[in-house]
Amino acid sequence: MKVLRLGIVIGLIAGPVIAQQQQTGPVYQERDFLTRVRRLTVDGRRAGEGYWSPDGKRLVFQSEREPGNPFYQIYVLDFATGEAKRISPGVGKTTCAFFRPGTDEIEFASTHADPKSKELQEAELNIRASGQQRRYSWDYDPEMDIYAYNEKTAALKRLTDARGYDAEGSYSPDGQWLVFTSMRDAYNRPLDGAEQKKLAEDPSYFAEIYIMRADGSAQRRLTSVKGYDGGPFFTPDGQHIVWRRFDETGLIADVWMMKPDGSDARQLTDFGSMSWAPYMHPSGEYIIFASNKLGFENFELFMVDAQGRKEPVRVTYSDGFDGLPVPSPDGKQLAWTSSRSGGSAGQLFLAQWNHDKALEAMKNAPLRKPAKKS
Amino acid sequence: MRRFLSLSWSSAREGRLAGSNGERLASDYIVAQLQAIGAKPLPGRRDYRLPFEFTAGTRDGGSRVSIGDRTFGTEADVRALSFSDNGDVSGDVVFAGYGIVVPDGQDFGYDSYTTLDVKDKIVLVLRYFPEDADQKTRQILARYADLRYKAMAARQRGAKAMLVVTGPRSPNAGETVPMSFDTALAGSGIVAASISGPVASQIFAAIPDKTLETAQQSFDSGNPHTAGFAIPSLKISIKAAVQRETKTAQNVVAYLPATVPAGARLKPWIVLGAHYDHLGHGEAGNTLAAKEDAGKIHFGADDNASGTAAVLAVAETLAAEPRQRNVVFAFWSGEELGLIGSSAFTKGPPLPLDQVAAYLNFDMVGRMQDNKLNVQATGTSPVWARIVEQANIAAGFDLQVQEDPYQPTDVATFNASNIPALSFFTGTHVDYHKPSDTADKIDFEDLDRIVGFATAIVRRVEETSEAPQFTKVEQKMQSGGGRAGVRVFTGTIPDYATDAKGLLLSGVIGGGPAEQAGLRKGDVIVEIAGQTIANIYDYTYALDVLKIGQPAKVVYLREGKRMETTLIPAARK
Repeated sequence: MKVLRLGIVIGLIAGPVIAQQQQTGPVYQERDFLTRVRRLTVDGRRAGEGYWSPDGKRLVFQSEREPGNPFYQIYVLDFATGEAKRISPGVGKTTCAFFRPGTDEIEFASTHADPKSKELQEAELNIRASGQQRRYSWDYDPEMDIYAYNEKTAALKRLTDARGYDAEGSYSPDGQWLVFTSMRDAYNRPLDGAEQKKLAEDPSYFAEIYIMRADGSAQRRLTSVKGYDGGPFFTPDGQHIVWRRFDETGLIADVWMMKPDGSDARQLTDFGSMSWAPYMHPSGEYIIFASNKLGFENFELFMVDAQGRKEPVRVTYSDGFDGLPVPSPDGKQLAWTSSRSGGSAGQLFLAQWNHDKALEAMKNAPLRKPAKKS
Repeated sequence: MRRFLSLSWSSAREGRLAGSNGERLASDYIVAQLQAIGAKPLPGRRDYRLPFEFTAGTRDGGSRVSIGDRTFGTEADVRALSFSDNGDVSGDVVFAGYGIVVPDGQDFGYDSYTTLDVKDKIVLVLRYFPEDADQKTRQILARYADLRYKAMAARQRGAKAMLVVTGPRSPNAGETVPMSFDTALAGSGIVAASISGPVASQIFAAIPDKTLETAQQSFDSGNPHTAGFAIPSLKISIKAAVQRETKTAQNVVAYLPATVPAGARLKPWIVLGAHYDHLGHGEAGNTLAAKEDAGKIHFGADDNASGTAAVLAVAETLAAEPRQRNVVFAFWSGEELGLIGSSAFTKGPPLPLDQVAAYLNFDMVGRMQDNKLNVQATGTSPVWARIVEQANIAAGFDLQVQEDPYQPTDVATFNASNIPALSFFTGTHVDYHKPSDTADKIDFEDLDRIVGFATAIVRRVEETSEAPQFTKVEQKMQSGGGRAGVRVFTGTIPDYATDAKGLLLSGVIGGGPAEQAGLRKGDVIVEIAGQTIANIYDYTYALDVLKIGQPAKVVYLREGKRMETTLIPAARK
C-alpha cells in the first residue's frame, strides 16, 4: 500500500525527469493487456488503493465519500451486491487497507484516535468551501497508526502506537506477518540540525520498511537507507517483499525486492523516473508498477520481470494518472487507480488482464542497461 | 431488443418527423408493443397517445406590395419574413441602410437610425451587413444583422413595417429571403417582408440621382456616419401574410402499476423516457446529410430508435416482476425540433409531477465504443452517484459521469421540473443526423447491457421508501464555442415552445443571477433594462445591452400580475 499517490506527486515541482520513450521490437497498446476497462467507483470525490480479498469476491479501498468528512475512509466493495460498506471509524484520515488471509480481519491506518481529528476535518471542509483549490498534499500525519478491524465482531485492534506515521501495511500470504512503512525514526531519537530541517520539509525522508506479527508484536526495522522506503507487499510465495525506494531528493524512485528478514535487497528497475507502487502478479513472473517515465504528471502502469533483467514494458496509454495496480488473486483481472475519467481525482478501475500477452511483451523487451552506480 | 429496434427499419415510417404520417405509424408500432407487454394507458385515459400541437412550419400566405399603380404579388418579388405579424400597412418609405443598431455599451457606435425619423413609416433596409467593412467592424455588425434583430430595431423606432432587400453587391443579390424554419408561435410585433431587386428598384425610381446599387455602395465601407434618407413623395402599401402551420404530434405514454399499494412509497411514480421522433427526410433543417444524400430518409436507428427500444425492453422486464412504484414509459415526439413533446408533457402533466421520484432518459444508446457509457445529469440528486456505482458493479461499463443536466435532450425538461433525472448516451458518431444512421450499425449486445443497467437503477429507486432528493445544478459555463457574441450570463432557461408574449421561463439556473433576482419557472419576462421583450429573440438581443455587474430592472408577469425585480448580470466565462 503505497501512500504516495497522485496528489503528492502533483504537489511537487517538476524535477529533472525527461519524458522519453524507448521503443524497440513489437509495439503494444493498452488493449493488448487490458480489456473491458470499467469504472468501479463513482461516489465521492476520489477513491483508490483497491486491494482484493483472497477469494477475489471483494475489494477493500479508500474513498472520500463519508458525509462531513473530507478525508479518505475505508470501504469494502462486494462484487455480488455492488454495495460498498464503510469499515473504518468514519472520523479522521485513513489509508491503505488490506485483507488478512484466513481471518475476518482487515488492517488499515487511521488517525481517529487523534483528538484533533474533527477539528482537522472542519478546517479542510472550510478550505474547500472557500473555493480555494489547495493542492492536495499527503501530510504523513504522525498520528497515523495501524489497526486491524474484525468484520465478524466489529472490534478494532490497535497494532502500532509509535509516534510518527505508521501506514502502508500488507499481510504475508499466510496471514501471520504484516509489513508496513513507518516514519518513527524521525521521532525516536535526537535529530541533528539538517535532519530537523528535513523533517519540516518532507517527513517521508525518514520512512523505512518495518515488519511485525499480525498481532502487532515483534516490530522490526528492515531498511535503513536515506530517502522514502515505502509501499511494501509480500510476493505471492511469501518469500520476498517488493517495495519502492526513493533517492534522497524524493524525485527518483525504483522498484526493489528483499527477503522478509531484510536481507538480499535487490534493485529491479533503474528507470530514471518516479517508479513506485509495485505489486507482483500471482504467477510470480512479473511486477506491475506505476512510473512517470513519460512525463512528470503522466503516470502510467509498467511491468517488469521478477528478476529485473529487462527494461520495463508500458501497460497503460491514458493521459493523467494511472497507478496503484493490484492483480486479482486469480491473475485474470487488474484493479488500479486512474484519473482517466476526467479531472485530477482518481477513481478505481477494473479490467481483464491478459497474462499471456504480458509475458510475451516482457520476453520481447530489451535487456536492462546496467544499473548506474550512485 | 432487435425486435424493438425495428422501429427504425421501415421506410414507411419515413424518418418519424414529428407531426408526419411516419411519426403516426411509429406511434402505432410503439402502442402495439406496449399492449403486448401489458403496460396500460395512464390512469383515467383510454389512449396511450397524448397529442400536442406545435408550429411545424411557416409559409407565405399571399403577401403583396403596391408601389404607385404597380402591385407585386409573387413570392419571387415579395415574401413575408417568417416572424412577421400579419396585416396591411401603407405609408412613406425611409431607406435606413443596413438597418443595424449596435447597442450602447459595445464601445462601437453604429446606429442606422441616428438621423432618421421612421415613426409610422415603412423602413427599407439591406440584408446582411456592410460588404467592404474591415474584419473587426464586420464581426461586430454581423452580430446585429439578423433580420429578427433588424425588425426589432425598426419596431422600437416606431416603424410600422420593415422591408428588406438583398443588395446587388451581396450574395443572393436581388432574391427574396426564404422562409426560415421557426417553431416560435408568435409574430414579432411588426410587419416584415423581403422584396426582390426589381421591386426595390421600383422604389428607388422615385429618386433620380440614386440607385439601389449606389446606395448600397455608400454603406458598404461600414462608415457609421453614412446616413439613410427618406424616399420623397412615394407611398407604398404592404400586405403581409404568414401562414403558421400548426401540426399535431403525439407522445406515447403507458405505465405498469405498482404491485404493492402505491401509498407505501413517497412519490410513487418513476418515469422512463426516450424520444421516438427523428428528422424525417431532413426537411426541418437539422440534418447533417451530405449534399448527395439530401432528402433521403433519416432512419435514426441510434437517434433514437435505440433509446425507444431500450425503454420497451426495460418495460418488458419490469412487467414480469413485482414493482414497488408505478413505472411510466414515455415516448416523446418533437424532441428533434426542440424538446417539444417532453415540454408539452411537463406543462400539462397527465400525472402529478411532484409525485415523480425520478426520470431516466435514453437518447442515442446503440453505438457504444470502448465500453464507454455516458451517464448524464447525476448532479440532480445526491443519491445518483451511489446508485449508479452499485448498478455498474454488475454492468461493468467504463462510465463517463456528467453531473450537468443541461443537456440537449429531454432530461433537461425534467430537470427544469425539479425531478431527479439521469440520461444515458453512448456518444455521437459519424452517422449522427444523417441518413446513414441505420439499424445495421447498432451494437445490440451492449444495448442489452444498458437495459440491464438501467433496470437495476429503476429497481434501486423503486426500493427506497424515501424518494431521491432533488438538487439544483449550477450550469457550468462553456468556455469558447456557442454564441460567441453573448458575454453576459443571466441564468434563465427560456421555454422555446411557447406562444406567450414575452419570455416564458421554463426554469432558472441554480445560483444564477435570475434565481438570485427571485425569478422562477413560469415567470414571463416582458421588459429588461428598458427593452421590451416580445419573444425569445428580443430577449437574446436585449442581453447585449446588459452590463456585467450592473443592476438591470426586470419587469415580469407572474400569474398574470406585473412585477418588478433587479437582476445583476454575471460574466459568461
